[in-house]
This record gives sequence, C-alpha cells and structure tokens, in this order.
Amino acid sequence: MKKITLLIVTTAALAIAAGTPFLRAVFADKPADIKIDNFSFTPQTITVPAGTQVHWTNRDDIPHNVVSEDKSFKSKALDTDDQFSYTFNKPGTYKYFCSIHPKMTATVVVK
Amino acid sequence: MCLLSRHPATPHFFTSGWNKTLSSRLSPLRSTLTAVFSHKIREDTTEHNDKDEILHDHNHDGIDRRGFLKCMAWAGTGALCLIKGGVLQSYSLSRLPELKEKDVQAELSFVQISDSHMGFNKPANTDVVGTFKAAIDKINALPITPAFMLHTGDVSHLSKPEEFDTVQQMLKSASAKNVFYVPGEHDVINDEGKEFRDRFGKGGQGAGWYSFDNKGVHFIGLVNVMNLKAGGLGNLGQEQLEWMEKDVKHLSKSTPIVVFAHIPLWSIYPEWGWGTDDSAQALSYLKRFGSVTVLNGHIHQTMQKVEGNITFHTAASTAFVQPKPGTAPSAGPMKVPDEQLRSLLGITDVSYKRGEHALAVVDSSLG
Repeated sequence: MKKITLLIVTTAALAIAAGTPFLRAVFADKPADIKIDNFSFTPQTITVPAGTQVHWTNRDDIPHNVVSEDKSFKSKALDTDDQFSYTFNKPGTYKYFCSIHPKMTATVVVK
Repeated sequence: MCLLSRHPATPHFFTSGWNKTLSSRLSPLRSTLTAVFSHKIREDTTEHNDKDEILHDHNHDGIDRRGFLKCMAWAGTGALCLIKGGVLQSYSLSRLPELKEKDVQAELSFVQISDSHMGFNKPANTDVVGTFKAAIDKINALPITPAFMLHTGDVSHLSKPEEFDTVQQMLKSASAKNVFYVPGEHDVINDEGKEFRDRFGKGGQGAGWYSFDNKGVHFIGLVNVMNLKAGGLGNLGQEQLEWMEKDVKHLSKSTPIVVFAHIPLWSIYPEWGWGTDDSAQALSYLKRFGSVTVLNGHIHQTMQKVEGNITFHTAASTAFVQPKPGTAPSAGPMKVPDEQLRSLLGITDVSYKRGEHALAVVDSSLG
C-alpha cells in the first residue's frame, strides 16, 4: 500500500514538475536552435514555450547580429560559428532582425 | 566586342597628367578600365529619364544612356567604353595600341577606395591585407598624386580597433596623405559608430556627416548606415537631411557636387538591401545643380547609372567580390578563381577640370 502511495505521489510530483518551464525545456522535442546562413534566419519563425533558451549560431561567412525590435535583446557581432543565446521568459511575439543587414528579419513566438 | 562606335573623333581621357602612351599605361592583362565618363553642365536640369529606350540626346547633353549602359555590361569582358563629347565609343582591349591619347591636365584628381573589410579571412579572400596593399600600390603608381582619397566605408570587417589600426597604418604609405571616410555598416556594429567617429569623424556632425570644398568642387560625406530599421534599406534620417538642405542652399548651381556615402543612394536591388530609403529627398536638394556625382560602395562591384544631372557610381571592393543582383541566393562573399580575384577588385580615380565642370570617373582593377 505504501509503495503504491509512493508511486502515485511520485508520479503526481513528476507530472507537476513536467509542467514547469525548466523541465519542459529539458524534455522539449525540438531544440530552440536558429541557424544564421545566407543572410537569413532559419527557421524564420519559431514557437517556443515561455522560459525557453533560444540559441543562434552564425554559419554564414559574413558577420551578423540578433537585435529585437522592442530592444529587449541585442547580441554582439557574431562572426562565423559565433553563438548567441537568450531566454524568453515572457509570452509574446518577438520580432528581431540583423541590424547590420536589416533585410534579415525573423520572429520568436513565445507561448 | 561592343559595336557602338558612332563618330570617328579621337577619344581622350580626362584623367590628369598621363604623359606616356596609352598602350604602355594600360596592359590588357593587367588592368581593366570599365568606363571613362565625362559630362558637361546643363542649364535645364529638371528632367530625368530612366526609360529603357534609345534616348538620342533626349536630355540635351549628348549622352546616349542606353548605349552607355549596354557598354557597361561589356566592360567586364574586356571592352573599353569611352565618352567624348557625350558620344559613346568602345574598343576591345586588344585595340588599345591604336588609341591616341590627348593629354589633359586636370585641376583636381582624387581616388575612391571602398570596402577594405580589414579582418575578413574567409575563402573569398584570405589575404585582404595583400589586396589592400595592391590597391595602395595602384594609387601610388598613378601619374600624379591624387589630392586626397575618399574611403566609402566598410573600412573594417567587425568594427575592431585593430582592424581600423591596420588600415590607417597601411594608408600612411599612400601617395595621397589626406583620406576622408564615411562608415559602412561593418564599421558601426557594437558601439553606434563611436570608435569610427573618434578616429575618422573629426569635424563631422551627428552620426558623422560633413562637407568640404576643394578646387571649386563641393564634397558631401553622408552616413546612411545608422539606425537601420528592420526590413529597411540604408537610412539618412531627418536630422542629416535638414543639414544637407542647408549645406547646399547657398551654392551656385554651377558648383560641381560630389556626394559620397556607403550604401548606394539609388535603388539597385532592394531585396539585398542595396538602396537607401530616404535618398530621394537628399537628391531633390541637388536637382538644380548642373553636375552631381554620387560615389558609393557596399555592393563590391562597379555599377553606374545616369539620371538627369546625376551620375551614380559604385566602387569595387579591395577585399572580396559580391554577386550581381539576383544571381545568387544572397549577397555574400563570392569565391572566384584565385587568378581572377585581383581583376575583380579595384580602385576608382576621379578627375575634374575647372571650367568644364566635368568629372571623369575611371575604375581600374588590381590585376
């Protein structure tokens, strides 16, 4: 009986824990990785749960950066293979672009 | 060969002080002249024409624009295009020894260099120092010392102090000691251009715009790489436009004007950011002037366009080549065969002869 109680409690605890952003990110199906190449961000639109840390990697042979339109984040210049990360804690739609090549635009949707 | 000969008149170069014969100065294997262009002041400068048709002196300045632009397309394959008195002639480089040269002393000669991207080291060019040095050697080999140089931006590749240092050090060995700079987007990456302005922007206002006069020609250095908006092109901004309007207000319309800025001030290929959102307003302040030359960089290839009284010219880079508009997935550095690289990089020599209000713009490659 005690073992079953323990099992139920543990399962319940795990279920609750799985609901937290931390575990959600750990067990996420898709990594929140954005590739920068050929003067574009891929994927151009990404949807992630709140609390996700998104990683950008520049695979282009030209430097780029990552600048949000609402000024909430701005990376330094990323040369080839440089990375930038930002954790999106608040839900919302975050449009961003490369301020060196402003035609490069993309969006992070945080749910 | 481009078959656009019109008159048998002897072509002549307005580039200053060429005393040697043309054939010794130009070797088809070593340099490619893409265009020599000169145009005279016109009093009625209000009309412009950008239709794709034979214009037959439509703007009363003797320039057949369609023929000129068609010839520009041949320049990359080795034709020399000349305009004499507004008439276009072209010659394949193999016929250069036949050309006679008229010696013209220009009162002002200066050089435009652009897009040195010091710090770049990818396959498109692993030795930007070497090609920059070749550009300086080219400048030093010109028959006369240019009065000064204009650097139309992307001096550095990543706005790093050591990159700016290298360019400044290397330019000390150039024959022209004065250099006027405007920033490219690669020069203002991390600090809103503060490092650039500290080094190169003395006397500038706002983001670093300024003007100066030399031998009766009025030069305007504009900054169109700051505060770029998402999805936008180059941008001048209201403050700079207001300054520019005041700056030219009291000049006589016969004053030749040279505007230099990094991103092209005409719309070459907006999809790749090759244009400036608010340049039309800037150019409207220059409509009344008879002779306006706009010198830009950014696209790493030479291109010219004539619109009314304005000649637009973009310079080659001294660092790497970029593809022609729309011919590649993006505007990034284009790898070319090693033996071709230097022939696709280059400098621009500009000359002005007082009284004629004509500017001759000559591109030459590094090899």
